Amino acid sequence: MLELLGAGLIGLGAVFFVAGTVGLLRFPDVFCRLHALTKADGLGLALIALGVALQAGTGGAVFRIALIWGFVALASATCGHLIARHARQMAGGRHD
Amino acid sequence: MCATSPMRQNAGARVQTLTLADRQDHPQAQAVPALRPDTGPDTSPDTGPDTGPDTGPQRRQRLRRWLTSALVLAVIWGLLTNWRADAVVFGLPAVVVGATLGAFLPPAPGWRLSLRGALAFALWFGVQSVRGAIDVAGRAFSPDMALRPCFRPYPLTLPQGAPRVMFINTITLLPGTLSAEIHGDTLIVHMLDARTALEPELADLESRIRALFALPPSPEHS
Repeated sequence: MLELLGAGLIGLGAVFFVAGTVGLLRFPDVFCRLHALTKADGLGLALIALGVALQAGTGGAVFRIALIWGFVALASATCGHLIARHARQMAGGRHD
Repeated sequence: MCATSPMRQNAGARVQTLTLADRQDHPQAQAVPALRPDTGPDTSPDTGPDTGPDTGPQRRQRLRRWLTSALVLAVIWGLLTNWRADAVVFGLPAVVVGATLGAFLPPAPGWRLSLRGALAFALWFGVQSVRGAIDVAGRAFSPDMALRPCFRPYPLTLPQGAPRVMFINTITLLPGTLSAEIHGDTLIVHMLDARTALEPELADLESRIRALFALPPSPEHS
């Protein structure tokens, strides 16, 4: 039962990763693409981590998965901001 | 490697100054040090109630910071490697280098968490990140995407340090918004759809972060 639920969560997570990738390919500029990457992939990873944690046996493994998710979430928000800032400065800091 | 060490040092500084304060007895006294301008980071650190005056204990303070970061890093390493003895060969140098690099960073302003605020924030954060991801995934799969991107300025009123960083990072997870650039006290937000309202959402997030860090309610911002 738990295995099935875990597999379902991992599958759902994969759908969000696909959505993030489709957004990356279809969205018109770097800023919109960052929205797709930070948000869709972030939830995709969270769902996959949750699914794997359900199947993991030990508390240590669950903690490691949570730690990895936390670091990736922090890094993706920070990197998204840094890429957006760089893109704006390259574009000459246009404001609208 | 060098990208991760500031973050880990933050974790160290966090543990050092973290005290749970749910009743908000004296939020003013604690919050004021964090409100100082971001100019002298190399002045004496005011990280908490037990920090002595400037005379002398700078060295002890630094040593304590180093030990705290080293301890936090060592525990993380131990949990990551399942306390395997042979992993210490890599872990020990990494912990020493990480803690030492962290000691060169300017000390972060002290802050504390409200337990009730943190629980409420975690729940809200989960719901919002699901909303944000579904919104952007729907646009990615929809034929016309319904994009009308724009940039909007937003005044930052949260104190420097952890509350402001939390605010800026969380904006990126809210539906349709991305924190793009910071000019002093103004944040430039990128929006996927210019027709949606920005200010109410961000004001709401701001008050939630004030609750999370046990800060007094916003003085001038409405």
